[in-house]
Amino acid sequence: MTHFEDLYNRYAPQIFRVCLGYTNNADQAKDLVQETFISVWKNLDGFRNQAQVSTWIFRIATNHCLRAMEVAKRMPAAELPFELAETVEESPEEKLALLYHCIAELEETERIIISLELEGLPQVQIAEVVGLSSGNVRVKVHRIKEKLAQKFKAYGQFR
Amino acid sequence: MDNLDDLKAIWHTAKTDTLPSSGEMLQMIKKFRRQRLRNKWLVIAISCLLILLMVVILCVLPFKMLTSYLGGALIIAAMVILAATTIKSLRRFYRLDNCSNLEFIAFIEQTRQNQIYYYKKTMVAIVILCSVGWLLYMYEPTYKHPIWFIGTHSAFIIYIAVMWFVVRPRSFKKDENKLNALKQRLQSISNQLK
Repeated sequence: MTHFEDLYNRYAPQIFRVCLGYTNNADQAKDLVQETFISVWKNLDGFRNQAQVSTWIFRIATNHCLRAMEVAKRMPAAELPFELAETVEESPEEKLALLYHCIAELEETERIIISLELEGLPQVQIAEVVGLSSGNVRVKVHRIKEKLAQKFKAYGQFR
Repeated sequence: MDNLDDLKAIWHTAKTDTLPSSGEMLQMIKKFRRQRLRNKWLVIAISCLLILLMVVILCVLPFKMLTSYLGGALIIAAMVILAATTIKSLRRFYRLDNCSNLEFIAFIEQTRQNQIYYYKKTMVAIVILCSVGWLLYMYEPTYKHPIWFIGTHSAFIIYIAVMWFVVRPRSFKKDENKLNALKQRLQSISNQLK
């Protein structure tokens, strides 16, 4: 197995979830995964491990997300689960759909930061991906969590 | 759903099994790699070809009038500017392999400004050089035949006038709207990163 295939198998699911968090649309997220790995393939020889490989790949992926300028107009694309506010025991799919819907209502960079945070990237690495200081990222993550909590509350899911 | 760990658990339930396998992805990459930036490479190839063609014509054909050489030189100059601008733009894209979102937004803004500069300055220079060059170049082959002279020159002038006064403003307006929308979006993202 080549280095590229190793990278793809390891990072494609993570990149897909982050792109899905950004676009709230599975097809667009798949396209963005493809775009990301085209860039990874193209630049793999030039990559000299100046940064962690995961930082590098997440930078490429999130930049492709930002580049997909027309995506913003169509968000939030996915519908909320049917009669969600009245549902007491939601299925995992409904919970996931609500999470994506709430993330889709955030601003672009907030979507990126929370997606990377939920994916489990350390905040130092998120700071390197986004281009902010880690202190700034910490503050932003805190604010985004508050925003998400308010949104869940508004949808009757914050218990 | 009231803490980050809950959210992380939900986040990781997203199904990723519909993603292509690494083998399929490699096949897609090989196909799409050729398509990306193809238009830019095409512009460079055509400009270089025209430069070469014009140099060969000027060297091989026995022109007697200075206007032919001057016209050829102007066309070559226009093609050199076009090729150089496109190569510069390509180099910027190829350098973009490991930058943060903040740097990327700055790159997009620079690209936007470059596009505006291209429309307002570079494209004007290329069209003027090419048009004057072509009119001068066509003088020698047609000046002895008034019908041919008037026919070729007026047809070219009409073509350029239509392109310049009808096609260009329309295309510019369409792109200008896109570029302005892009500007607003970039400003919004830049503000988010402050």
